[in-house]
Amino acid sequence: MKPLTVIGFLGSTLDASKFGPTRWSKWRPSVGLTMHEDLRVDRFVMLHGTAHKRLADYVAADIADVSPETRMDLRVLDLVDPWDFEEVYGKLLDFARSYPFDPEAEDYLIHITTGTHVAQICLFLLTEARYLPGRLLQTQPRRGTSDGAGVWTTIDLDLSRYDSIATRFAAASAESTSFLKSGIETRNSAFNRMIDEIEQVALRSRAPMLLMGPTGAGKSQLARRIYELKRLKHQIKGPFVEVNCATLKGDGAMSALFGHRRGAFTGAIADRPGLLRAADGGMLFLDEIGELGIDEQAMILRAIEDKRFLPVGADQEAASDFQLIAGTNRDLGTAVAAGAFRDDLYARLNLWTFALPGLAERREDVAPNLDYELDRFAEREGLRVGFNKEARQRYLGFATSPEASWLGNFRDLAASVTRMATLSPTGRIDVDCVEAEIARLRRLWSASAGVDGDAALLDAVLGAERLAAIDPFDRVQLAETIRVCRASRSLSEAGRALFAVSLARRTSANDADRLRKYLARFDLDWPALQTV
Amino acid sequence: MIIIDGSEGEGGGQVVRNACALSLVTGQPFRIANVRGKREKPGLMRQHVTAIEAACAIGGAECEGVTVGSSEILFRPGSVRPGEHRFAVGTAGSTNLVLQTILPPLILADAPSRIVLEGGTHNMLAPPFDFIAKAFLPLVNRMGPRVEARLVRHGFYPRGGGRIEVEIMPAPLRPIECIDRGALLSVSASALFAGLPLEIAERELKTARKFLDWPEEAFAARELPADRGPGNALLLEAAFEHGTEIVTGFGKLGVSAESLAKTAAQRMAGFLASAAFAGPYLADQLLLPFALAGGGRFTTVKPSQHARTAADIIALFTGRRFVFRPIEDGTHMVECTT
Repeated sequence: MKPLTVIGFLGSTLDASKFGPTRWSKWRPSVGLTMHEDLRVDRFVMLHGTAHKRLADYVAADIADVSPETRMDLRVLDLVDPWDFEEVYGKLLDFARSYPFDPEAEDYLIHITTGTHVAQICLFLLTEARYLPGRLLQTQPRRGTSDGAGVWTTIDLDLSRYDSIATRFAAASAESTSFLKSGIETRNSAFNRMIDEIEQVALRSRAPMLLMGPTGAGKSQLARRIYELKRLKHQIKGPFVEVNCATLKGDGAMSALFGHRRGAFTGAIADRPGLLRAADGGMLFLDEIGELGIDEQAMILRAIEDKRFLPVGADQEAASDFQLIAGTNRDLGTAVAAGAFRDDLYARLNLWTFALPGLAERREDVAPNLDYELDRFAEREGLRVGFNKEARQRYLGFATSPEASWLGNFRDLAASVTRMATLSPTGRIDVDCVEAEIARLRRLWSASAGVDGDAALLDAVLGAERLAAIDPFDRVQLAETIRVCRASRSLSEAGRALFAVSLARRTSANDADRLRKYLARFDLDWPALQTV
Repeated sequence: MIIIDGSEGEGGGQVVRNACALSLVTGQPFRIANVRGKREKPGLMRQHVTAIEAACAIGGAECEGVTVGSSEILFRPGSVRPGEHRFAVGTAGSTNLVLQTILPPLILADAPSRIVLEGGTHNMLAPPFDFIAKAFLPLVNRMGPRVEARLVRHGFYPRGGGRIEVEIMPAPLRPIECIDRGALLSVSASALFAGLPLEIAERELKTARKFLDWPEEAFAARELPADRGPGNALLLEAAFEHGTEIVTGFGKLGVSAESLAKTAAQRMAGFLASAAFAGPYLADQLLLPFALAGGGRFTTVKPSQHARTAADIIALFTGRRFVFRPIEDGTHMVECTT
């Protein structure tokens, strides 16, 4: 064991006594703590005011008698008002910062029995914050006796050292993680580990979080559960506001997010507070944040950092204090490299980044999620539906096989369950129903992939009749062009992306015009692609 | 390396002190595991740490695990350094326990020593200074060395702060026999008090009179300076031709003056009624010097478990054993064999 240093205040009341032999029959905390056979104090740093110098010397002399091992280190710490928190904390902080602590070589006990309550609180706070790198020491008189030594105990603020408390924390933490998983007993260890981390971050940090993952991986649901967990723990009061940035396009985006003043632009017939204001005191979930325009990104960054932003057409900034969770299915790092996403905003979001795996990467979680979806269906429709044993085996067999790509992730699973449950009026899903569903899923996933994917896209944009008039040779090019257009915020941006190589060679002057003309060949224009 | 299991036998602290003393005398290192294993608060307490530190200081020893609460200590003796030493003992400890630890190596050293001990001189954890000076040290001196102890200042529990000075002229120990204590020469009962009312001392003396048929002038209250207090002890002394016994009652909170005086007086009366040379405390203390002398014997009332444990430790270091044997007059003969 290392030498022990005790740091504490001289108790101007508790340590005071008559100047005579009877003082030894009175419990004096500072003297008493040096009288124990099982506590050897090698150094005692005793803080006292100038006014109590005589008492300090008297107490120090008595300690020298009962504990010659103890080196007394009297320090004057004058407090104008020992009940003033700001003053006491500030002066104790100065003391703590100037004291040459060496926890490798010495142990420290912080005596909190003497001093005003404010002093005790400050000593506690400084110890908890590790400015005072020790344990707390509390002393008390031995009841019903005139024993001068009293009783001593230490308080270790590392709660994990207390079995019963640690058990309760573990239970509460398990409860919280289970809550984040909506009670689904997921088995995928990577996912469970990630949820454990999210639980800790959610309860300890107000910093933004970034949830990455493919569409349908459950980003939105998780964001909502994080919000609800924080609200349960009284860490957040305001509302949960969810926005899909992909739906914010053009001029409306600014105004939807940051609000506008009446008359700011044509059609602004009344003040609009905006989604950021709505999230004040609560949580804002910006899904598909990679779709946000560059200007909006700048505003969002300022809103995160300064909690202030300028509504459209306003002269004065508005304030909103919200916690941010962002979701994305794009790799934002690549978007930053391509200049489509601000690196400073990305840096701000990239503190707590969690990648949600798709369902295909969590095959062991299909079964618990299947049960969860059946429960949700029962809640929604008031009808409890279950599988035949054989049917369940067949479905899970397919669902966990490599053949099941789960392109739409949990969204696909939810839809699949809804279909099977709806088509099973008796409340039992049988093998036939499952076989039919497996066929549907196969079609769905094959249609979404490759050339069939192009067909589905073009069919949606042009309709079957017009599609039939287009050569397969043109279909591939048109499908890719439409995809780029949809991922871009303007015709010009899409043009720059599509003719990037020509642009680099400076062989193309007007990409937007070139794109417009190409689309016109198929009777398509920019607005048409944005609305469908 | 001598290995001792501290949870065996009686008297945890005594094992530590005797082991240190024996190690310094014999030059053998030792390790104690489960220090004070049977106690409510196991491990080393402050007073033991102080005693071991004192042993290190006079013996140039190297130690490991010498901290409060430690359950295992390792002690490697160096060469004994006689001369001037000063040790201070905390509140509950006793100067006499430190003396017990360092005296054996110093009386066998190659030069005289002068020791100053500060702390408790009269507290319930150890025999008081008067016992050491009048009952124990005269017998040590009879074995060869010359040890003189002087009480400069009393130190009572809880304050401590007393001071004793000990002069040591070393000499080889020779065996002696303490069988017959001889005729009773004088008796005295003194009630020491400091910072407390005289009435306490008077009540103790009054109670003691009931159990001891001693002449009136043997009883005296003795007031010490109030700033030494609070403190109180009743010292009952019986001086025989060949030895002296002192029985002490310590005043402490929660024990009435009458009660402590009665206990002490009955113990003294019991000793007077027996023919034993040494009372139980003296018997404990004599074992070590007798073993180092390599022989000798003494009579005592009834050997305690404490004494038997001490004899076991002594045997570990010296190979010398004690035989405890009841004899016809109701006392016990304790004999050191080699």
